[in-house]
Order: sequence, then C-alpha cells, then structure tokens
Amino acid sequence: MTLDTNALLIILTGALIAISCGFLGVFLLLRKMSMTGDAISHAVLPGIVIGFFVSGSQRSLEVIIGAGLLGILSTLMIDALRKKAKVQLDASIGITFTLLFAIGIILINLFAYKVDLDQECVLYGEIAYLPIDLWITPSGLNLGPRITWLAGLNFFLVTGFIYLLFKELSLTSFDEHFSSAIGIPAKGVNMALMSMVSYTTVSSFESVGAILVVALLVVPPSTAYLWTKSLIPLLRLTAALGILIAILGYYLAYWIDSSIAGMMVTVAGVLFIGSALIKGNWPLGHRGTSHSSPAFDS
Amino acid sequence: MITQVPHPVLEVHDLTVSYDQHPVLWNVDLSLPAGQLVGILGPNGAGKSTLIKSIMGLIQPTSGFIKIFDKPIQEVRTRISYVPQRESVDWNFPASVLDVVVMGTYGKLGLFRRPGKKEVQIAQDALEQVGMSAFAKRQISELSGGQQQRVFIARALAQQADLYLMDEPFAGVDMATETAIFQLLQDMARAGKTVLVVHHDIHSAMNFFEWVIMLNLHLVASGPKDQVMTEELLRKTYGGKLNLLTQVTDLIRKQDFNPLKS
Repeated sequence: MTLDTNALLIILTGALIAISCGFLGVFLLLRKMSMTGDAISHAVLPGIVIGFFVSGSQRSLEVIIGAGLLGILSTLMIDALRKKAKVQLDASIGITFTLLFAIGIILINLFAYKVDLDQECVLYGEIAYLPIDLWITPSGLNLGPRITWLAGLNFFLVTGFIYLLFKELSLTSFDEHFSSAIGIPAKGVNMALMSMVSYTTVSSFESVGAILVVALLVVPPSTAYLWTKSLIPLLRLTAALGILIAILGYYLAYWIDSSIAGMMVTVAGVLFIGSALIKGNWPLGHRGTSHSSPAFDS
Repeated sequence: MITQVPHPVLEVHDLTVSYDQHPVLWNVDLSLPAGQLVGILGPNGAGKSTLIKSIMGLIQPTSGFIKIFDKPIQEVRTRISYVPQRESVDWNFPASVLDVVVMGTYGKLGLFRRPGKKEVQIAQDALEQVGMSAFAKRQISELSGGQQQRVFIARALAQQADLYLMDEPFAGVDMATETAIFQLLQDMARAGKTVLVVHHDIHSAMNFFEWVIMLNLHLVASGPKDQVMTEELLRKTYGGKLNLLTQVTDLIRKQDFNPLKS
C-alpha cells in the first residue's frame, strides 16, 4: 500500500468525478428524478457514437455536444411520453433509455470499421489506465493525465453551475409551479440541469464507465440524505462521501487487485447500507423509543 | 349576476380551458376591483383551481385572454403572488421555514442574484405576520398542516405583491388559524391589495369576503357579497351536490328564509 503519484492522481480523479456526480445527484434526488440520471447516462450513447463518427476522435468537442443533445432529447422524450402519451414515469424512462441505448449499440456496430470505440470502455471505464494516458501539448510538454484534467474541468463547471443557480435549482426542485408563477423558468432550469448531467456522464464515462456514473449520481446523495435534512449540509456530506469513496475504493481495489471503479461503487453501496441500517426505521432496532426518520417515509 | 367594474385590477375575457378536449372552464368573463378580498366558491371540479392557474399563466387557455393591471401576466409577474395548494409540494424537502419564505423574494431578485440581509428581513417580517416567527429555523418536514399553510402564506407575503391568488389556503387549517389568517387578508385588502381566495366553506365566506365569484364550469356569479350570496345563485352553483346542499340550507336557515315558501 503506497501513496505514489499514480495513486494520488487516480484518487484525485475519482474524487472529482464522484463529487461532480454527487452534487448533480442531490438535485436529481430532490426532484425525484434519480432514475432520469440513469436514463441520461445510457441515452447519450448514440450521441457519443455520432460525435465520434463526425470528428473521428473520442476526445473531441463533437462527442460532448452529441452526448449533450441526446441527453436533452431523452429528457424531452421522457417528459413527452409521460405528459402526452400518459405513460407512467418509470415506464417512460425505461422505454426511452433502452431505445436510445440500443440505437447507440447498433450505430457502434454499423460504424465499427471507422470508429475505434471500445464498448467495454464506454460501459465500465478503466480509471487505472489514467496515468499512461497523458495530455502532451504539440510542443511536447507533458501536462499529466488527460482524464484528470477532464474531471477537473467537469468539477469546476458543475460547482460553478450549482453556485450560480443555487437559488433557482432549490426553488424549482421544491415547488415548480410557484417558481413558474414568479417568473423563474422552471423548464429552463430543468433543461440546464439535464445538460449538466449529460455532460458529466460523458466526461466521466471514460474513467468510471456509463453504468458506474449512475451509481455515483444516485448512491452518495441518497446516503447523505439519510443523515441530514438541510440542503447545504447535504451537499457537503455528499462531497465528503465522494472523497471517501475514491480513497477507500482505490486502496481496496489495489489490495484485492480488482476494478477501481467497481470497488468505488461497492464502497458507496456498503456506506449506504450501513447508513440505512443506522438511520432507518427497523422494527427490531429501537423498539419503543424509536425516533421516526422522515427520510424513510418518502 | 355578473358585475363588471371600471378600471379593474384583473380582467378575464371569454376564458375557456379544456384538458384533452374536455372543457373545465367555459366562457368565463369577469373583472375585479382593487382592494377587495375576493372568494371563489364552487363545488369540487368546478374549475376554481384551473381559473387561478390560468390567471397565473400556468395553464394555456383554449381561448380567451387575461389582463392584470391592464397588462399581460408576463409583464407584471413581480406584482402577483401565488399560493399553490399545500399538497402540491413534498414537505420532506430539506429546507427550513425561513428558507421557504425567502423563496418569495426570488422573483424580484432575478437570475443569479442571491438573497441577502434585506430578503431575510422581509421573510422574517412575513413570518411575524402569520405568527410563525418562533418556527423560522424549524425544518418544514416537522410542521403540521396548518403551519405548512401559514408558511406558504408567509412566502406569498414576502413577495410584496399587489395581487394575491390563493388556492385553498384554508384546507386543513383549524378555525382559530382560519380566522387569524382571514383578518390578515382583510388588513391586506384594506391596504389596497387584491386577494383572491379559492374557498370551500360557505359560512366563513359569508363572514369574510367582500366580493364573491361563483363557479361551476360556467361563471354563475361575480359581484359584491350582499348581491350574489343568494339562495338562487348558491343553488345554481352547488345544485345537485347533496352534502353541499345541506350547507346551503343551513345558510338559508341562518338568513331566515324558508325555501319551501318561495
């Protein structure tokens, strides 16, 4: 067990991604839209493939834009299915993201001869290869791992987004009608949030994979919500959990020689189960003197 | 019995609203004077909430238009306040009472700007007015139904508007609180504000409102209380709804006229 530069970089990157996802996940959770985050993380696949096909590179702006557009499209589609076709929310999420994800898979196969896009990488990611994937400027200057820079940029943008729109995000999460009534565009704020989720998903899929991004969007905020009932502490605790998950995930994976991303999410899951055992209303736990925890009612 | 007024604060013109081609409001045409406490009465499904939501621009009408202070809603949003039904939000949301009341000031603040000392002061004054100052730091999940309702009213007060639209603010509120809030609303009306309240109880409507709108898909009546709270119009509004008819007969008994004679 060592603390070398590589370990530090991997932990830093993991923590940055976990915090970015966690911050957005808090608002998804409060809007009861956690599964929309799931849907977006899968639905962006065709956008990634098309962006890749257009630009010929996995690292281009086109990929981010393609994914962002597909993310918004999936949000609109879920909303339209629910409101216009009167489909239940969970069903419309299921229909939308599986359809778009399947289209993505077909596109990968169709363009396979032109596109060197590794499905395994998109789905599972591999944060361990991060130290050998360096950002080297045309003049030959080595700036360090490319994915760490991407995660840092993502973290910076997500934090800035939430800082600037904190008031709007919290109001529209609490009371959409009231916010529309007083002239704060609830739909616009929602679209902005969904765009950030799409961008974050794409930015993170190379390192932790599309599936595990979902876990980072959902699990740390849900864990934190078991412990606190105020918004600011909720965000702080989510961030702290993100850092803890990255550190524990890395060392446990190192120890049993397994996938770092997989271990990060396992740690997140274990932390959640532990919190739920402590804070939940279990019939056997505190009989008689049990304090009801409203978090579990919803 | 529809009284139109000159220089109205609110005018609704030929408003028709439908959900899936099923009309819920039909050809409503009314105007309201300033500085009045206005009650909207009608049975369940009469379109009372729909009328409020259409006025707020939350629902697109099938036809007709609405003018507030002689302007379309988009131009005067900061002058209008809205109290949605209490059940329309999740009260487990992680926020304190003060947090929610400060939200009332967000409309005037505009995008990106954060609430400061001034906004917090406005919110605290609003809480004072509804008698909830002691609860400022409490989490909203720990409030009773009546307290939640008062928080919503305080949030509307913090908006410092000129026209208030309240969707059933007395649902789940005890009599003492209801009377206290009604007195607050009367004070506001005296100060020149116009307050529209969707209401269910005909008895308290008789006591507190100055102007009454009666709705049952169509507009049955809109005018000063003394002129519209008649047996005939109440029957027209609630006709056929048995349990409500009992309330109407109660009212008639109170007013000392016998329906069997007329």
